[in-house]
Amino acid sequence: MRKIISYLVLASLFFGWAIAQENIRWGDDGSLTIITADDREEITIPADQVGTLFGPGEQPFAGQRIAITVNTGGPKGGISGPLHQFRPAWEQLTGAKLDIVEMPLPEQLPTTINDLRLGLNQFDGFIEGAWYMGEYVTPGFIIPVDEYINDGRFPQWDPAWWPDSLRKIHQWDGQTYATLNDSDGQVLYWRNDILTDPEWQTAYEEEVGSPMPFPVKTWDDVIAIAKFFDGKNWDDNDPDPDSGIVMHFKVNAQGHFHFMTMSASYVVRPGDTVDRCTNNYWFDPATMEPLINQPGHVKALEKLKELAQYGPEAQAAWDLTEGWDYFMRGKAIFTFSWGDVGSLVQDPTRSQIQGKLGASIVPGSTEVYNMCSNEWETLDEPNVVGNTTGGSWQGIISSRSPNPEAVYSLYALMATAPVHTWNTQRGWTGVDPGVSIDFLPPNGTATLEGYIDAGWNASDVEFYTQAYYDNFYADTMLPYIRINGTEEYWRALDQNLSEAMIGRLEPQEALDRTAEAWKGITERRGLDLQLKQYQEAVGYQP
Amino acid sequence: MFPLLYSLRLGFFRVNVGQQDVFIGLANYARAFKDPNVWNAARVTLTFVLIGVTIQLILGLLFALLFNRALPARGVLRTIMTLPLFATPIGIGYMFITIFHEEGGFIRASLGAKIPWLSNPDWALVSVILVDIWNWTPFVFIVLLAALQSIPEEYYEAARLESSSQWELFRYITLPILQPSIILVLVLRMSEAFKVFDIPFSLTSGGPGIATETFSMLTFNTYRRFFDFGYGSALAYLLLIAVAIIVTSFFGRIRQAYT
Repeated sequence: MRKIISYLVLASLFFGWAIAQENIRWGDDGSLTIITADDREEITIPADQVGTLFGPGEQPFAGQRIAITVNTGGPKGGISGPLHQFRPAWEQLTGAKLDIVEMPLPEQLPTTINDLRLGLNQFDGFIEGAWYMGEYVTPGFIIPVDEYINDGRFPQWDPAWWPDSLRKIHQWDGQTYATLNDSDGQVLYWRNDILTDPEWQTAYEEEVGSPMPFPVKTWDDVIAIAKFFDGKNWDDNDPDPDSGIVMHFKVNAQGHFHFMTMSASYVVRPGDTVDRCTNNYWFDPATMEPLINQPGHVKALEKLKELAQYGPEAQAAWDLTEGWDYFMRGKAIFTFSWGDVGSLVQDPTRSQIQGKLGASIVPGSTEVYNMCSNEWETLDEPNVVGNTTGGSWQGIISSRSPNPEAVYSLYALMATAPVHTWNTQRGWTGVDPGVSIDFLPPNGTATLEGYIDAGWNASDVEFYTQAYYDNFYADTMLPYIRINGTEEYWRALDQNLSEAMIGRLEPQEALDRTAEAWKGITERRGLDLQLKQYQEAVGYQP
Repeated sequence: MFPLLYSLRLGFFRVNVGQQDVFIGLANYARAFKDPNVWNAARVTLTFVLIGVTIQLILGLLFALLFNRALPARGVLRTIMTLPLFATPIGIGYMFITIFHEEGGFIRASLGAKIPWLSNPDWALVSVILVDIWNWTPFVFIVLLAALQSIPEEYYEAARLESSSQWELFRYITLPILQPSIILVLVLRMSEAFKVFDIPFSLTSGGPGIATETFSMLTFNTYRRFFDFGYGSALAYLLLIAVAIIVTSFFGRIRQAYT
């Protein structure tokens, strides 16, 4: 009898363990439910999206081991988090092992490029920022995935979901190299409860002498409102005065993205062509002369400095998460940043402003500098420019990987509609919305109920998804560079911008230094090569 | 020797990985003298070394003198005093972010003082120096305490027959005997401080702007962020030469004094 009891106890322990370790479940209809690692949330992928590779009892990549690099963040960190959460399910589905190799953002490109160039081949894939793509594609370090996308064996997702603006930065020369994951672009966020409050609108008019310019149309409107609210305790979350805006300018981090986003409307002239002064921002596409110190860029930096005065002094040393937290604690009227803000606001453990959020495409400028005629042009309507600023952190596959299909199967699983939606609706994942399945009708196919079920506030969802739709489908976009050396050009810009933001350099001086540094980078990397890549990147026809 | 010779060679070339190296003679060294970032890094590093090491020396000496007396629980206190020495500098840098953080940091929360520790260029350099002082004063303390404890008591007993002034005992007995140890500590600390990287890297990232970008950080950034291996090697050699000159001159002084 004692023996039987012992066996029963052992059996129950074993089955209990087995149940606890279940990471996938197959439905009778062929659907696949995957279970996340930490919170044990269930996501069901319909049978027609699962692909034929996976199935009950199938382990198509058994014995294989792949290594994927990603930004440091851990199991609940931005971009890295989803890899951790879906690893057990993917391993159970494939029989393969996944090594997640985390590294800090500034280390990722140097480490992976060194690995590839020296032929060490430690990594099978990379979750990389879109601006790295030139470094990977042109030497043949990564492979296109169009064949895999069209292969019914793999989990199914559709590149047609991308707006053109985002599709471009996942492709190179007409071929798709990166799978759907994150969609980066910066929009303007504000405290809708405060700016629509009649009492505050009256107070603004009394103090300033004109009605509050809300909804904002231009950066000057943002500056005027930020100036009014800065230093006032307009939110009763604490006894301290609050700020008009919050940004982040820590050097060697991601502060330069603020400048790119804001300056676009002073620099990028709309039109049907691409030339020095139309749909262009970085270099003269005929000569590779840096344009970063042109009057449009300089004026934008002056405006950015003016706007930054109405934020906390500490933002000069903050990275993005510190800026976000300040906004989510209800300490700033405005911020302009990535989609993470809108989704993190929905997390009551981090945010005090759920249901109080407004969002729109970033405002414009009524002046834009013509870099051909060297004159300012005054416009009746603001020049509003959308952006894909940021990394749009995307999965790519090393051409030297012995297991490319296993890598793609992981990326494709994460790109399926149910998994992608799960990611975008949870702020901590760092996966931001930007494709048609993220937008509400008539812009897309997502449902308000879906967001509400995920814990979102309905008003916040409507502002947020419309803002991102308007941004990614804008008529005029800030051109995205991802040529060889983009990281170097941006680091030089970032350092000089930071010097300007703390007042050690004047805007003109900071951007002149940047232009000089860019000339040096171009010269060192080879003018002809850089020029050819830039022309391809912006679609310039010589 | 190979790494040294290899990097020396790189300094005379324009290097783009994946392309043929191009010999450019002394162009990388000439570029360094025209580069405003190099002069900034040299100024930051010199300020860091002169202020930081001087304060470490003074504090370390004061603590050594204090702990050379009979104190209650002296052993325990001495152990506590030396603990910072065993912490990892890069971890210390990240830990001090939480202390200096201007909105929710320990100092702001406990004292209410809103000091721009990390966002103001001057304060940021002060912060880096303070953290380095915290980290390295124990080293000076240990070395000088050992030197103090090796001074025979008879020297003081004999001197007290001539004078009872503590200052005179210190000036004419303690300090001359300590001098070799002080110079040794100075040489070791300065040669380390000139290469400082971990603390500014983790505490300020060299910012705001490039206000705390030390020479080693600039070299690292040139190598790792900009892949400019030729120029990075030239910068590394410039630092090596500067440190070698300083250390050699100090050893020269020691030889002069004791031969």
